[in-house]
Amino acid sequence: MSLVDLMSMAKPNEELRKKILQKLHEELAYCFQCAKCTSGCTAFKLLELVPHEIMRLTKLGFIEELITSEIIWTCATCLKCVERCPQNVSPYHVIIALRNIAVKQEAKIPEAYLKAVSQILETGLAQTIEKVTTKKMESLDRQKLHLPEIKHPTETFRTTFLKILEGHEL
Amino acid sequence: MKLPVFWGCRILTSQYAYEMSIRQVLPRLGVELVDLREMHCCGDYIKSINMFAATYMAARILALANETSIKNLLVPCSRCHFALSETQHILEENRNLKDKVDALLKKEKLNYSSDIKIWHIIDFIHDVIGVECIRQKVKRSLKGLKFASHVGCQTIRPSSIKRVDNPETPRKLDELIKALGAESLEYPEKLDCCGAALMSSHQEAALTLAGSKLKALQELGVDGLIDSCPACHTIFDTKQESAATTIGGKLAMPVLYYTQLLGIAMQINVEKLGLHLNQSPVEKILEISSS
Repeated sequence: MSLVDLMSMAKPNEELRKKILQKLHEELAYCFQCAKCTSGCTAFKLLELVPHEIMRLTKLGFIEELITSEIIWTCATCLKCVERCPQNVSPYHVIIALRNIAVKQEAKIPEAYLKAVSQILETGLAQTIEKVTTKKMESLDRQKLHLPEIKHPTETFRTTFLKILEGHEL
Repeated sequence: MKLPVFWGCRILTSQYAYEMSIRQVLPRLGVELVDLREMHCCGDYIKSINMFAATYMAARILALANETSIKNLLVPCSRCHFALSETQHILEENRNLKDKVDALLKKEKLNYSSDIKIWHIIDFIHDVIGVECIRQKVKRSLKGLKFASHVGCQTIRPSSIKRVDNPETPRKLDELIKALGAESLEYPEKLDCCGAALMSSHQEAALTLAGSKLKALQELGVDGLIDSCPACHTIFDTKQESAATTIGGKLAMPVLYYTQLLGIAMQINVEKLGLHLNQSPVEKILEISSS
């Protein structure tokens, strides 16, 4: 999905702009739009993620457009943009910050992330414990493979985690 | 030596072969693995939701590691390795944040310590055990086999914080493969990302990335792909058939964890290395290496 359609009628949100500039001042101030991040971006070719565009639009304050767009969820987190930026700034971290704002503003986010949260609240782990099937169609679990039992975290961990997500610890 | 280990969710819940092969191989190299008191998510997934929560989670893992009084921690997953390393870096830079995290951990009588060395399986074997030692452990040479290495993106980037290998020309995994008698080929797609992180939101794109890399390797004629990250392995091995369907081609590329390959060269029983859990045609490797 491209950002072009989203931007045609957009107006910057000054309040959100100020907030994100405060948080990511250095990331945004030093980007000079050389597009080196985009040239090496894993998600550029397949999903039209244009990291230097994200940088510019964030700086201009088009935060609402970005957080309601699917585009911020297309980053493959390969970190090449962070590594290669000649200005030492990080589009990856700007994208992560935008995702955090999307969650706070209750924008639509991929279900898998919400599922991970509920998994962690339940077992401490982000994934469900699976049985694996061999090519001979044998179904095996940790016990059958002689692997030790998983030691799940204490209740305190889970309550602290929930409190942070609810914003009580910030 | 004793070495605490943080496995991470993906290894503990589905990528059992990685855990099995590490538990087989390391003790034979003189390493006694110590499991942490508790296991929970490193915060990787949670970064996208709430960066502070993710930082707390990773710091808590480091605090649990600190309880062992051993200053080294093995983290075999690329993503967990980055989450923990980055948290160490952030807490070093940001006192304010560190105080907040410390306060939360103190409530549970946990102490965060900044001096824990975080190792991935590749740099631990390469830098601590040593290539020469690995060479001497080989009982069944893998001579004649040609492999390609896949280095997990998050183990080598960003180099502004301590990472496992060079961000643009990683060599350690290749040297470890060569130590077993096999070849490790350089190829243009070596640094291409596996796409695994996109599986949760953009499955087709993720499988296209993995499938294209495997297809390129197939055309190059390598005998197998060697990786060392449960996320990469899931998409290259477990999901190889889906990747083939997505790119509309046939794929039959054996994919093994480095620790499995090392185990084969050390003549450890292949079931103990979890080789029967690989979904890709790994039997081919065994046939070639014994002929």
